Amino acid sequence: MALYRAHVLICHGTGCASGGSPKVLETFREELQKKNLDKEVLVIATGCHGMCEFGPIVVVYPEGTFYSQVKPEDVAEIVEEHLYKGRIVNRLLYKEPISAQKVCHYKEIPFYGKQHRIVLSNCGYINPDNIDEYISRDGYQALGKCITEMSPAAVIEEMKKSGLRGRGGGGFPTGLKWSFCAASPGNKKYVICNADEGDPGAFMDRSILEGDPHAVLEGMMIGAYAMGADEGYIYCRAEYPLAIKRLQTAIHQATEYGLLGENVLGTDFSFDLHIKEGAGAFVCGEETALMASIEGQRGMPRPRPPFPAVKGLWGKPTNINNVETWANVPRIMLQGAECFAAMGTEKSKGTKVFALTGKVKNTGLVEVPMGITIREIVYEIGGGIIGDKKFKAVQIGGPSGGCLVEEHLDLPVDYESLTAAGAIMGSGGLVVLDESNCMVDTAKFFLEFTQRESCGKCVPCREGTKKMLDILTRITEGNGKPEDLDTLQYLGEQIKATSLCALGGTAPNPVLTTLKYFRHEYEAHINEKRCPAGACQSLLRYTIDPAKCIGCTKCARNCPVNCISGKVKEPHLIDQEKCIKCGACMANCPVGAISKG
Amino acid sequence: MSDITLVIDGVECRAAKGDTILQVARRNDIYIPTLCWMEGLTPIGSCRMCVVEVEGNPKLLTACTTPAENGMKIHTKTEKLKQYRLQILELLFAGRNHFCMFCSQTGDCELQRLAIEHGMDKVRYPFLYEPFHNDATDPNIQLDHNRCILCLRCIRVCAEKVGAHTLDLEKRGWGTNITADLGKMLGESDTCVSCGACAQVCPTGTITLRDFVYRGRRNDCDDQVESICPLCSLGCRIKAYVRTGSVARVEGLSANSPDGGQLCHKGRWGLPKSTERDRLTAPMIRTGSSFREASWEEALNLIASKLGSASKAGRAGALLSELSTDEELSVVSSFFRDTMKMDKVDGFFGNMLRGFVKGFQPFADQGIRPFTGAHNILESDAIVVIGANPQEEAPVAASYIRVSTIIERAKLINLSAGKNPFDGITDADIRAALPGEMEKVLVSLREAVEGGPEPKEPAMAESARVLREAKKPVFVIGSSLAEHPSLVTEALNLAVASKAFFDDGLGVVPMLRGGNCLGALNTVIGESDWLSESELDFLYVLSTGMVDEDKRSLEAMTRARFVVVHTPFMVHPLVNMADVLLPAPAWFERSGHYCTLEGERRRMNMIVPPKGNLKGLSVIMDELAGKLGLELQPASAAPCENVYEAKSPSTSARTVSLKEVR
Repeated sequence: MALYRAHVLICHGTGCASGGSPKVLETFREELQKKNLDKEVLVIATGCHGMCEFGPIVVVYPEGTFYSQVKPEDVAEIVEEHLYKGRIVNRLLYKEPISAQKVCHYKEIPFYGKQHRIVLSNCGYINPDNIDEYISRDGYQALGKCITEMSPAAVIEEMKKSGLRGRGGGGFPTGLKWSFCAASPGNKKYVICNADEGDPGAFMDRSILEGDPHAVLEGMMIGAYAMGADEGYIYCRAEYPLAIKRLQTAIHQATEYGLLGENVLGTDFSFDLHIKEGAGAFVCGEETALMASIEGQRGMPRPRPPFPAVKGLWGKPTNINNVETWANVPRIMLQGAECFAAMGTEKSKGTKVFALTGKVKNTGLVEVPMGITIREIVYEIGGGIIGDKKFKAVQIGGPSGGCLVEEHLDLPVDYESLTAAGAIMGSGGLVVLDESNCMVDTAKFFLEFTQRESCGKCVPCREGTKKMLDILTRITEGNGKPEDLDTLQYLGEQIKATSLCALGGTAPNPVLTTLKYFRHEYEAHINEKRCPAGACQSLLRYTIDPAKCIGCTKCARNCPVNCISGKVKEPHLIDQEKCIKCGACMANCPVGAISKG
Repeated sequence: MSDITLVIDGVECRAAKGDTILQVARRNDIYIPTLCWMEGLTPIGSCRMCVVEVEGNPKLLTACTTPAENGMKIHTKTEKLKQYRLQILELLFAGRNHFCMFCSQTGDCELQRLAIEHGMDKVRYPFLYEPFHNDATDPNIQLDHNRCILCLRCIRVCAEKVGAHTLDLEKRGWGTNITADLGKMLGESDTCVSCGACAQVCPTGTITLRDFVYRGRRNDCDDQVESICPLCSLGCRIKAYVRTGSVARVEGLSANSPDGGQLCHKGRWGLPKSTERDRLTAPMIRTGSSFREASWEEALNLIASKLGSASKAGRAGALLSELSTDEELSVVSSFFRDTMKMDKVDGFFGNMLRGFVKGFQPFADQGIRPFTGAHNILESDAIVVIGANPQEEAPVAASYIRVSTIIERAKLINLSAGKNPFDGITDADIRAALPGEMEKVLVSLREAVEGGPEPKEPAMAESARVLREAKKPVFVIGSSLAEHPSLVTEALNLAVASKAFFDDGLGVVPMLRGGNCLGALNTVIGESDWLSESELDFLYVLSTGMVDEDKRSLEAMTRARFVVVHTPFMVHPLVNMADVLLPAPAWFERSGHYCTLEGERRRMNMIVPPKGNLKGLSVIMDELAGKLGLELQPASAAPCENVYEAKSPSTSARTVSLKEVR
């Protein structure tokens, strides 16, 4: 391997790539060639760094200088100043939102300070398209150890000891799940990687697949060895073309290296891996629907039992784990179960990756040890609420999850505490809401999603969520009735109890938790026809304060429906009947005389 | 099978491992409401009506899908469950157009019945009033999505029993809908075989058969009679609903039987529609271009006088329908063959049947039963269709072939001169003109299966490979093959070489067409085709009026000097050929036995009593004999169960040389 005096790591995750990072990379290569530095400095395309909001991200090693929002035109300067003259380009450094100070080094950024990057340790560090880089970071060592030194039973025992629980949402102990499939009779078994990440705003699995695909492959192979499977599927949603491409490359390279296929590493263990592209149905993340989809049928869940471990894909014993779960496996097997179990809480071990979004200053992908508090995630990693507004809630667990409020800020993030508080760990969506978010509207948003994505098979989910959505829509439009709240509660509980799969079984959660913690907001919508957060458009009222209005007529001239009347230099008036609540008047008022609420 | 014990609603129930909770409950007379569940179809647990509580399990389980386990304590009627079920019904009613009084199926509707049963006196949720499509593009089947509850029974029956898989779901959420051929209207579907199975299983008024709505609800009907369909040699079981002395509709039996409770388009529509046809109610004698009603005495006298002289001159014949029962065939045969000593007796399908008989003969000589029950197609792992079009000849057998191929993953090979009747699902498709090319193909396939030279043509090589590996192949041979008996023999040779051995006979299913062709084989089918050549002075024709007459028969009738047509309906052009018309009971007025291709003798039952001035066939024959001064002799030909008795096991069959046959 050639030695280089410096490495330029350019993020090629979906976020940075759409921000133009391939062009940045190309410009780097050109500029370095111009300066004759191309033999001294190596440019590498990496996976996601997590701070997608500040992309494209460029990290220069050995210093670990972290440049954010780099554009192609900035490249010449970095090459000239940093790589040629050794002077850091201050202008492009990441600016810390809390202290407003420029931060030079990767590890000094508070966003990363509280994080514990285990699963994401390779993301942003290696070139995912190059298997050698993965191997140089101890890749495939765990596989070698398992299939040459350990018995399948010992691997499962180690997994049980590690305390790893399914990261897809359910939180079922992985080792135990493996032991079920291993114990199922049959000589044909399958392992499946669930990469059908469908929660709105969640991209944990995508980043892992894009940044470190081999970790997932290795994890699946270890699992296959432990359970006696010889074939695997990665069910990846088609909306992740880059992840699919990286997986294809990874499978191709691993096969070339003899790490995949017949007689892996010269042992009796053989493993075949396929990629199956999903067609964009949220419900296909449910394991039985996912298997139906792989089989070529319409992706609809079927009742369990029989469980996949007994009768799964094509009727054979099957084990399905999520991307993050699989990616954890090689680390556990390499470093030992104790090392993994040392992290986290008593019942929730290791780390969890969250997609931190919403009204926080730093959004992006974060990996935190289990047991961290929500306050630490929101205020220390996330940098607090944008505009320093008041924190209202976090929606955790996506459309199946629930809302947690201020009193839960110091709740440790683990499976049991979150479930006890009415939310779920889920796959890792974490949306921060501030005072300007209407909780009824938020619940409606999530229910709209689950209702649209219901497969239509079972009655409670198909018809029940529609009824709930209709009621919520009515409430946000100011047509709610007092008895609606009881109906919502009753319907929600019934749907949860009677639905066939977890989609319907959890779809009412956002409504039920907001009803629990924000009942007053619902009541304000229904009784006072008012949206306290000012988010529900139908309930908004724009009013002109006659004391402040200077009669400049600017509002009237900008109103698209001509509903503002008034003479020049006299206070104006909005006709509420005609007003379409577009906000043009408010935006154009030079003296701030118009308010909404 | 290990026995387990569980407690349902306090009743201790014994069950076998693998039974579902619902099966155990039903067996023990414990009622659990169901809606999407249907006997014989894969349970899917989608309607959630059958949810039960199992002690120690926080989740509700659907009784229809959950296997019973030892020691389970199950509650099926708690207050909580009642509420859940009521809620589901209300949601269904509020979802689409379920306003019973505007629905043709009201009173026949399982949704309505459950709502009444659960005391659903109101719907707490606002009705959606969202108009869905009413698919009226099919001439026979109407699909009104507004009444659909998405129980998916139609989809399941279409895929699992008919093998057509025309229906499936489209869209998501509350707008999920049934669709044909992935997005077509039902009438535009290429895969629909118009069997109407979807309508039979539909629990609401979503899928209806236009011809039979408003004819009376099932429960309003005066009688339900089980019988069989005589239209093809499968003899599918039917249930006929009788209202005011007429057949209001015909349905298949339980989806749990091998045929899946299926009927084809012929049975479902052809049978009940025949009740609307003009009936012949009294004997008629031709006067010029029209008929006049006559007494039985007069008509029989006329017939006797014509028959007596004609038979003495050897110029009398009898042409009998293979849709007749064994009993009818015996009586007629005893009169013409044994009493009148006539040799000119034949069936409408005589030529085809003679071809099969000739082709089968070398194997019958070995004591082998040269065919097997058609339902064995479902058990086979390789199906070879030779010169057949089962969708025309015996449509339910076509369903067996599709289901076996698509669901059970059997291999399907087609050998035909024309279009492949199973285009799209065949593993190998071979074109061969009859008879020469087909014979070459059959011979070279047999040789390859026996270990001879591998055919070069890829489809042939694949077929040979499939047949060598198959454990239970079945050969479906079409009626077109019977025109060349040596081809039938060679097809059977291939079956023997491929070890198509079943318990009841050789793995061959001949497409015999007529309902009682097997019964007709040795009662009425003549030695040779006298019908095409003879100039007759007298011809007696017994027709059921249910299938069109072929050219050969019609021409013979035109040539004959005096024709007696014995038929239930005023069938044209048959009636035009007659000099005397005798009224016969229609299919729904008769009873007797049919020898079916399903390998069993099935009974046809009288559904409604005969109307009009009818006389029984044996009475007529007896009187005719009397008028001719003869005594009706017992039938010499045995009834159908003796046809091709299996004297030796099919495994002992050996191939025969075609030279021998010729």
